[in-house]
Amino acid sequence: MAWQTFAGCCLTVANSFSLISGEIAIYSDRRDFLALGFSGLALSELLARVDSDKRDPSFDGGLHHKAKVRRVIQIFLNGGMSQMDTFDFKPQLEKRHGQTVDVGLKATATGTPGPLMKSPFKWRQAGKSGRWVTDVFPHIAGYVDDMAFLMAMQSKSNVHGPASYLQNTGFLMPGFPSAGSWISYALGRLTDDLPAFIVMPDMRGLPYNGMGNFSAGFLPISHQGTPVNPSSPAPIPDLQPSAGIKFISSAATMDGLKLLGEMNQKFADERLGDSRLQARVESYELAARMQLAAPEVFDLARETAFIHESYGTSRPGADGSFSRNCLLARRFVERGVRFVQVWSGAGGPKNNWDNHSNIPTELPPIARQVDQPVAALLMDLKARGLFADTLVVFTTEFGRMPFTQSGVGRDHNGGTFVTWLAGAGIKAGVSYGESDEFSHLAMANKTTCYDLYATILHLMGIDHEKLSVRHNGIDRRLTDVHGEVIKPILA
Amino acid sequence: MSDRIAETVSKARLCLFIACVWCFFSLAYSLAFDGTSAVAERINFTNDVQPIFKARCVECHGATRQRGNLRLDIVAGIRKGGISGSIINLKNPLDSHLVLHVKGAANFERMPPKGDALTTSEIEKLSEWIRQGAVLPVETENIKNIIANQGGWSFIPLKLPVPPLQSNNSMAWVRNPIDLFILEKLRKNGLNPAPEADKRILARRIFIDLTGLPPTPYELLEFLNDAAPNAYEKLVDRLLASTRYGERWARHWLDVAHYADSHGQDQDRFRPNAWPYRDYLIRSFNEDKPYSRFISEQIAGDVLYPGDPDALVATGFLAAGPWDESGLRDINENSVDRQIARNLDRDDIVTSTMTTFTGLTVHCARCHDHKFDPITQVDYYALQAVFAGVDKAQRAYDPDPVVAKKRLSLQSDLQMVRALKGKVDPILLSAQNQRHVADFEKDWRAGSTSWFVLKPEMVVSKSGSTLVILPDNSVVANGVAPEKDIYSVTVSTPRTGATGIRLEVLTDEKLPFKGPGRAVNGNLHLSELKVTIHPRGKPEKSIPLKLKSATADFNQAGWSIDRAIDGDVQTAWGIHPEEGKSHQAVFGFENPIGFDEGTVLHVELDQSHGRMHLIGRFRLSMTTALSLNDAGKVIPPNISLIMETPLARQTDVQRAEISQWLWENRILKELATMPPQSMVYCGTNQYAADGSFRPALTPRPINILARGEISKPGALAAPGAVLAVPGLKADFQIKDPNDEGLRRVALADWLSNPANMLTWRVIVNRIWHYHFGKGIVDTPNDFGKMGGIPSHPELLDWLASDFVNSGGSLKNLHRLIVTSSTYRQSVKHEPVAFAKDSDNRLLWRMNRGRMDAETLRDSVLLASARLDDSMYGPPVRHFIMKPGIHVTPEADYDRYDVDAPEARRRSVYRYIFRTRPDPLLEALDCPDASQSAPARSVSVSAPQALVLWNNKFVLRHAGHLADLAVSFDTPLQRVRFVTQQLLCRLPTPAEEATWLEYSTKHGLANFCRVLLNSSEFLFID
Repeated sequence: MAWQTFAGCCLTVANSFSLISGEIAIYSDRRDFLALGFSGLALSELLARVDSDKRDPSFDGGLHHKAKVRRVIQIFLNGGMSQMDTFDFKPQLEKRHGQTVDVGLKATATGTPGPLMKSPFKWRQAGKSGRWVTDVFPHIAGYVDDMAFLMAMQSKSNVHGPASYLQNTGFLMPGFPSAGSWISYALGRLTDDLPAFIVMPDMRGLPYNGMGNFSAGFLPISHQGTPVNPSSPAPIPDLQPSAGIKFISSAATMDGLKLLGEMNQKFADERLGDSRLQARVESYELAARMQLAAPEVFDLARETAFIHESYGTSRPGADGSFSRNCLLARRFVERGVRFVQVWSGAGGPKNNWDNHSNIPTELPPIARQVDQPVAALLMDLKARGLFADTLVVFTTEFGRMPFTQSGVGRDHNGGTFVTWLAGAGIKAGVSYGESDEFSHLAMANKTTCYDLYATILHLMGIDHEKLSVRHNGIDRRLTDVHGEVIKPILA
Repeated sequence: MSDRIAETVSKARLCLFIACVWCFFSLAYSLAFDGTSAVAERINFTNDVQPIFKARCVECHGATRQRGNLRLDIVAGIRKGGISGSIINLKNPLDSHLVLHVKGAANFERMPPKGDALTTSEIEKLSEWIRQGAVLPVETENIKNIIANQGGWSFIPLKLPVPPLQSNNSMAWVRNPIDLFILEKLRKNGLNPAPEADKRILARRIFIDLTGLPPTPYELLEFLNDAAPNAYEKLVDRLLASTRYGERWARHWLDVAHYADSHGQDQDRFRPNAWPYRDYLIRSFNEDKPYSRFISEQIAGDVLYPGDPDALVATGFLAAGPWDESGLRDINENSVDRQIARNLDRDDIVTSTMTTFTGLTVHCARCHDHKFDPITQVDYYALQAVFAGVDKAQRAYDPDPVVAKKRLSLQSDLQMVRALKGKVDPILLSAQNQRHVADFEKDWRAGSTSWFVLKPEMVVSKSGSTLVILPDNSVVANGVAPEKDIYSVTVSTPRTGATGIRLEVLTDEKLPFKGPGRAVNGNLHLSELKVTIHPRGKPEKSIPLKLKSATADFNQAGWSIDRAIDGDVQTAWGIHPEEGKSHQAVFGFENPIGFDEGTVLHVELDQSHGRMHLIGRFRLSMTTALSLNDAGKVIPPNISLIMETPLARQTDVQRAEISQWLWENRILKELATMPPQSMVYCGTNQYAADGSFRPALTPRPINILARGEISKPGALAAPGAVLAVPGLKADFQIKDPNDEGLRRVALADWLSNPANMLTWRVIVNRIWHYHFGKGIVDTPNDFGKMGGIPSHPELLDWLASDFVNSGGSLKNLHRLIVTSSTYRQSVKHEPVAFAKDSDNRLLWRMNRGRMDAETLRDSVLLASARLDDSMYGPPVRHFIMKPGIHVTPEADYDRYDVDAPEARRRSVYRYIFRTRPDPLLEALDCPDASQSAPARSVSVSAPQALVLWNNKFVLRHAGHLADLAVSFDTPLQRVRFVTQQLLCRLPTPAEEATWLEYSTKHGLANFCRVLLNSSEFLFID
């Protein structure tokens, strides 16, 4: 029976694929794996790729074509960054400030539209490209020539929960894998010492949807984002034995792991034909390496005073914490983490980008949190040559309304918002897309999260239409049934 | 021994025969019943109509294209119609869209759009066909069509296959019909079954499988010592009878229903009353509730079995999934996002219902017709229409069936009496009712019945609140709220003998969270209430009034009403967390008061707590009732007006009005004395509105949405199910379309119908899946074309038929499966068989299982003798809950005391927090309840190893287990003891040497840590 032979063969491939890429999940549901195989590659291609990985540890990556990007840092502005107060300059809005216009909108997500409101911040043109930036981003403005702007991003939702899911997973509903999980699943690890997908929430708390935004959904749990909390004594949960357990000693642990290894090896040897058992033996070896490697990453004392100064790590409170997270993001990608997500702002009504009541007072502090460290991160990545294969994405779940809410605030607006990318494979200093005269709706060259992720996957050597997993009857993709690679922003 | 087997098999065969006959009849019956045959002189669809469709229509309305969502090449499509609804109008045949289109009538695009119009005779044929009732061919043809063209194997009606007989030699292995089917396939592929597993292995396997816990050494020994030939069968019966069985299998069901104790999404609030549904599942599994009833209860138990609290709680199924509080409650009601949120919420209910019970992925048809299965968008929105009247919300119910019945009858009385309002019905003027009226008059004249509202004559705020007197004599506070305030109110009354004063604090739309307070959360704090009185016109005789008692309908914990009369402004009355509702406090006077010339009262409401904890709206009343508890409600003005006239001079209309009002009050009073109701979070329209989240009084209109987009509504959908399922009526004929309950009843009937082949195949496959680790269909939630192909289709059908025919007993099904030789095989690896069938789809051995997350946790508790097996009740938190930044609280799993008494309960009772999952359980592949999880994955990873190796729960229990072992004298005995507790066996001599050495060197607790991480503990052979 042909299918049996095929299935047997595939199991072998699954294992070698898993081990080579450093990923040791054994897919209990082989369909997961087959779906990737079928829709992505012929089996022979997959084998060849696995072989070539063996020969070339530098791993140029790519499932379907050569990759330009090996790792991604995504900075996510939680709450909905106001585009017309940061990057989307609209002369008409300046001119018609205070006027009431009828754009056919009776109700916004949480209120009713007031009159037009120009940005209370000063606009200036930055860089050779002359991008407009307000003075809330003085540092970031210095790097506009490295960025490609998507000026007409659109969201299907004006509500934080669904919109955050959409921008992280491609779906409005919970339960779908986030982008980092897909990338971990598709490409595996670059290092055995650290998880492939790391998340650093704002020190003040998790974003809207909590852990849902970093979920592996229906992919194996090992692809889930690992949340780290650098200010905790245990930045990665359960990396070390829980405190206060008296019987633990390092000798007992070392001898114990040895004894366990022997027991589990014997158990596996007596039960051939079950690859999970061998994988368990290896999982403890890998875990031990991770235990040794992880603390070194968090040791920021190894960085120079100049680096600390640039990122602003000594700033008080959440600002300093964000600075340290940006610095850690660089250290993580440097050590082979594939996808690092850094969050600015926690869920809830305050201390994030959800500036409903007062743009002049609410936006500048949260902008100040990210401005200096993000600029420093770009500088640092460039200086270390990491820009050559690292992509930085600066994004949010939706934009805000050009009309006022509660006097000088702005309500949610999925109609248009701004995202920028910088780094490997990106055409520097360009912009794509345009919103309407007030920055209310995307007008020309609209883009969506599907296009954004199609582009990111493309840069990582993945055809977004071929990366799919069957779940409850549907071949699911990060880009749902949409998405086009945004070629005009590619180098 | 072989006699026994032969007997079993022949019994099984007899059952088979009977079942076969039954099935044949039922199938024949359903065909005869549903079929409609054409009469000779009438227009015949196949001869007269179909040729026209084929020649002129199906190019655009056929298999390849379905313009306007219409298919005319299949019976199903013709029945269903297109995006603008049915194409046939039997009442007015000439108004049928089909006719209007082919005629090219005004506003109807002429069809076909290209080429010549249909001839007059063709149009006449179509019209006549409709006039004669639009008879379509018999269902059998439809079935063939479906099988050939659309639906897969799973749409073929169930029939009972004859188990394949095996040679005499092989029969020795066969214990029941399952083995016949399995053996047949193995033989055909040149394979043999594996030998039976060792008794010890079998015991561990069956214990974990049926109860989610391994055997204790004592239970194990008991079984090993039982030499009876049916020792295993006896064990199976015992385990199925254990209440732990229900806990284990309810947990499986919760995976499928994607149950959790919090809403999920961005406002992941706690659902305090989701758990009654979880308890319902445990009870139902333990009671072995017939499966069809189990289905019906979960879809429409409240309607089908009124007065049965369990059946009502069952509808928790509909609400088990996530709920978008922000989208469905908080955002602007008129925004398009609200409509999207509603659509997605219904989608969750439809998806969950249809995947759980029928394995159909109908949700694929939200945006377009299903690409692979015969599910149209019309079908999908018909299912949304079924649930168009319900929301996920808290519903009150009576857990005691007697109380439930009583309340039901009172409520129906109330409805009747309310219907009498404004009528001069003879029953209102009956002697009995008029006696009540006469009694009332007596009380009225005595002035002892009620609270009389006091009209404020002057209100003064000390700190600048704007106090406004409203027409109902209540006072509302407007303007900028000061931090603290003292309101002074002057009222007066001509009555004497007043015994108490009442303060109502009332809700108001303008107040935060509707008040009744002005604090940001709607709370208030009344520090002190003081009253002084003087005779009218003699303010110099003012005296303070002594208040004897204070009671309130609700007291905030630590802020009870007596603190408002304790003379201490530091203490106060509060109402948190019961904001958003009106409340009242009653203050009793030491002695009845009242001056003959009239009494003026100054009431001072001291609210010195701060942070705007002020009363937002209030009203004062007084009573002369001797017992303050008897003081009734405020008498409405229309009644007071009538009472101005003495009873004797009242008209019938007036007396009827009073009689009706009194009667209604009597019922209300009786209702008020009933025990308080419990709450369950379920799918319902019986719930209290919360802001703009309001129940739909009639089912909401459901439009078929082009591309699933709210902005592109098409025709209205009528409640129904999937048309392509043969033998069942998919268009629900609902007597009262406004009665949402009837819609759900129709779906419950459709799902639980013995002829619904999907239902029965899906459930037996789920059960099989949990026993073997893989289903006969390896996609338990997808029985469509893109799902798995059954490895043993005849066995699946045999199990399904047998199950439905024998009354849907899950326990019988378990027994059949786990007592088969197939199940009892060892997991032994066989290279030749592995080369042929590495996936073990043919079951040449048993599959090795891995403990799921809850089993692991429960087993650790059991092994360390810490398992608390008390059942049911509110969920247990395995974390410290702290207020979050916004609505969602923070969950600190790290600092939670894993040794807390409540943490010893079984894991099925834990609090499942969707967006803050438990790190230990999550590492072991516990799903997060966002979506249905029909099968758990088994991952192996370094993070998982780290959690098992370092997690506090595991380490603490390693310590507890070691502590337990100290009662043994020697270190070796202790090593043996812990090994038995965890591995269900004794160490081998070689192991004893190494393990003793390690535990002597590092202590027994460290050794327990190693064992808890061993593959042998984690895996189930």
